[in-house]
Amino acid sequence: MHLAKHVKFREEKFGGVLFETRSEKVYTLNPAATAVVREIKAGADEAAIRQRLKDQFDDKGGSIDRDITALIADLRAKGLLEG
Amino acid sequence: MSESIATAIPASTPASTESGDLGAPLYVAWQITNECNLACLHCIEESGPGKAFKDELDDRQVFDVLAQLMDADVPYLSFSGGEPMVHPRFFDMVEYACSRGAELKIETNGHYLTPENCARLKALGVKAVQVSLDGASRETFNRMRVLGEFNVAVDGVRNLREAGVPIEVNYSPTRFNVHEIGAAVDLAYALGAISFYTGKTMYTGNAVKTWHKMAPSDEQYGPYFATLHAKADEYRGRMRVHFHEMGLLEELRYRLHHPAALLILLPNGLVKLINALPFVCGDLRQQSLKQIWANFQDAWRDPRVAGFVEDLAVDPGKTRTLHQWVHL
Repeated sequence: MHLAKHVKFREEKFGGVLFETRSEKVYTLNPAATAVVREIKAGADEAAIRQRLKDQFDDKGGSIDRDITALIADLRAKGLLEG
Repeated sequence: MSESIATAIPASTPASTESGDLGAPLYVAWQITNECNLACLHCIEESGPGKAFKDELDDRQVFDVLAQLMDADVPYLSFSGGEPMVHPRFFDMVEYACSRGAELKIETNGHYLTPENCARLKALGVKAVQVSLDGASRETFNRMRVLGEFNVAVDGVRNLREAGVPIEVNYSPTRFNVHEIGAAVDLAYALGAISFYTGKTMYTGNAVKTWHKMAPSDEQYGPYFATLHAKADEYRGRMRVHFHEMGLLEELRYRLHHPAALLILLPNGLVKLINALPFVCGDLRQQSLKQIWANFQDAWRDPRVAGFVEDLAVDPGKTRTLHQWVHL
């Protein structure tokens, strides 16, 4: 799993941005989504990402697994993520 | 988690991505020289042979600026001009930017796109090359692109395709080429373009002198954009057809409140707020990119900027003064 070829990621104070430079679309990321993309860039697999996000964020509602699954599916659907 | 991850990514474009919260621009459009081999009737930069600025950045300054852009993680750059490929360090600049991971677009008139140069651009990894093809025929293209040759530009695009470089086409409308817009979109697709860009020609630069014989009428723009709507539908999924129908005044009024995350860098290191305004918000010969970016938001709020935009409502011809830079 990796960012698509023409997708650039940059961290910002508010979280981060993904920039799909072929379609020239920009996606803003909140801190949690930024953490997921940071892990993807570092080469982590989905299981490792889930664990690391649970270490970083409060998972009282048990939503982390669901949110990560949805985010990754969304990134794939938008052509931002491959593999 | 206090905030859902999955709902965190609304889409926008660089042009609609506001700059306020970002640590650096997302896009820098750099006119690397004002020198050009052509002298086009409509050129908004008044470029042409012998038109390089006297104070264009020297080698050390060019690579210092490039290093700052890459250190700031600016993800997307374009090199334009003038004609960027006449810059003596053009390929060195391309190599540096691409090697540092930038997505780089070249905006060219296509006259230097030899097979060798296209192969080199491919090897260096440019994102795309955008070629100005303002006509579907030699007659209209050559009339508009003084000193230019349609067949050379078309051959250049073919060389890009042969080399495997992604191709974009730009089209500036005039009263004598608007009727060819449909054929021009078809030609772009046939040549392998992935994107086609056009909008209204602006009254500035060389266009001020040629407006009376070049500017399309409102009656011509109607069918022009109608054709583009139809072509956008026809090529959907195969080639993106981008066009801006919005008038300049409407666009600038929006920008006053929503500055894009974009810097316009001139050949001499001055940084403009946007191409369609005369305001300069920094000088990379004297200030760092970081300082200029920090000033960028305030510069947009300068009352002279809003004043200029509202003056355009009364006198649209005020765009003729865009090259009389106003330092904020």
